[in-house]
Amino acid sequence: MSVRRIVAILQEEWYITISSLEVILDIFYYSFMALILYGFTTLFIAGKTNAVFAYYLITGLILWEIVRVAQYTLSVGALWEVWARNLTNIFISPITVSEYLTAQMLSGAFKSLFVFFAVSLLAIPLFHFNIFTLGLLNLTLFFINLVIFSWFTGIAILGLIFRFGTRVQALAWGLIILFQPLSASFFPVSVLPGPLQKIAHSLPTTYVFEAARNALSNPAVDWKAHSIAFALNIVYFSLSVLFFNYMFAKSKETGQFVKNEG
Amino acid sequence: MNTILSVSNLTKKFGTFTAVDDVSFQLNKGEILGLLGPNGAGKTTTIHMLLGTTTLTSGEILYFGKNLMTRRGEIMGEINFASAFNTLQGRVTVKENLLVYSKLYDVNKPLARIRDLLSSFEIAHLENERYWNLSAGQRTRVNLVKCLLNSPKIILLDEPTASLDPDISDKLLNLIDKLRSEQKVSILYTSHDMSEVSRICDRVVFMDHGKVIAEDTPLGLTKRIQNANIRLTFDAKKEHVGKILAGSRYKHEFLGNNIVSVTVKEKQIPAVIFVLSNADVWLTDIEVKKPTLEDFFLHIARKKKKQ
Repeated sequence: MSVRRIVAILQEEWYITISSLEVILDIFYYSFMALILYGFTTLFIAGKTNAVFAYYLITGLILWEIVRVAQYTLSVGALWEVWARNLTNIFISPITVSEYLTAQMLSGAFKSLFVFFAVSLLAIPLFHFNIFTLGLLNLTLFFINLVIFSWFTGIAILGLIFRFGTRVQALAWGLIILFQPLSASFFPVSVLPGPLQKIAHSLPTTYVFEAARNALSNPAVDWKAHSIAFALNIVYFSLSVLFFNYMFAKSKETGQFVKNEG
Repeated sequence: MNTILSVSNLTKKFGTFTAVDDVSFQLNKGEILGLLGPNGAGKTTTIHMLLGTTTLTSGEILYFGKNLMTRRGEIMGEINFASAFNTLQGRVTVKENLLVYSKLYDVNKPLARIRDLLSSFEIAHLENERYWNLSAGQRTRVNLVKCLLNSPKIILLDEPTASLDPDISDKLLNLIDKLRSEQKVSILYTSHDMSEVSRICDRVVFMDHGKVIAEDTPLGLTKRIQNANIRLTFDAKKEHVGKILAGSRYKHEFLGNNIVSVTVKEKQIPAVIFVLSNADVWLTDIEVKKPTLEDFFLHIARKKKKQ
């Protein structure tokens, strides 16, 4: 694994990010506007009912943005190469697939960390909500689990994009929404119907959001929830890497890799 | 000759369709090898197998004696590729794009190397220009700079002059020739422009239907077309000339009232002139068109169409 080549891809990601209105809008503007929307909704509900329940919304939103931004960055990162017809140039360099994926995963983690701090800090003066009261250790563990989950989904989607090309590119920004209600990001899992609760309990994110909601009243670290989420993440992440490798190999075997560039 | 790329029994099947069928050839040090053939001949699939972006069904690719499948990382640092169909990141500047590739190829003193190459391609002033603002010719030159960043020993060029105007094409061909003569770089070159292939390639591998159907020097390939074409301008009655040529069973076509095009084997050219002169036909102009690489290409392409 070459750090230099990983830094090269991160450098390219940086150049694309600072020169693309699309990335700025999709990541930073979207997160900011979601904070405004959910922040005011939280303020309204807090005035009508138990404030802790209202804060479920803004807590869920801030934590969900970690997943959305990291997954979006990972999946769309490769699409930038496809759209620019630069994919072959990248993959005929000495870079390995694992170096490329590592770079995209790190890029997603950095961007989501930045967005997390930005929206969290903005929420304090704007909506009198300080997510840091959940505790630094809690937040660190939430972040790690949510980022690994986003890597799992991002890598799986990336595998589909390599295999089937731009005809499935909408999954890069659309598929993750499916997991938002299934992870019970804004409400307790008990609200979901029975079969959906079973699906929810198979997702690592559900344990993160449950633990975060509980931490609003009691910031003690829920090690059980973190451990289950982490164990599930490891399983899903490993499966997604296997899936990606299979799809990547198929893409080269069927000639789709070359066709991806038009 | 020092073989630095050896392709043996390369085959690629997409389901039941065989795109490349048992192809073998060698590229020697300091040589420019043309890979030619009509559309669908299997050239692009071959190039992509050589780059590792398409997997082989069977066969072997050895760069510097090392197997591409097992020692990809080492090999990729020593070769590079440029194509008219691949571009760099459009919204990123030329310098930024090249800095990324310098890191990927572990280039020593990258900025100096980039500036040196940009200057040699006469595009130093474009360093801070976004790639998508460049003209087709400028993009091609930036792609070639990317291709040369790692001082490759082998370069694969896929139709590099496509969409370039003749002046820029000519400069590019001179540069390619200079690379070969000064740096002993070996080049695998695909193009549809037969005149440029004749000009710069030492040898040509001609592919059709996924197979190598001929491998020779450009001159050697043209010699395989035995027919030559003579265009004769005459001062006589058209019917009279037609009667003489038909009587001698020469394949001909009138291009006007006083011009006839005769297709014969090269060695029969004097006989055609002789038979017309003997019949008191005054020939005011004689133009002999010997077969070119393009004729060989057309010969293969037309044969394919008939099948």
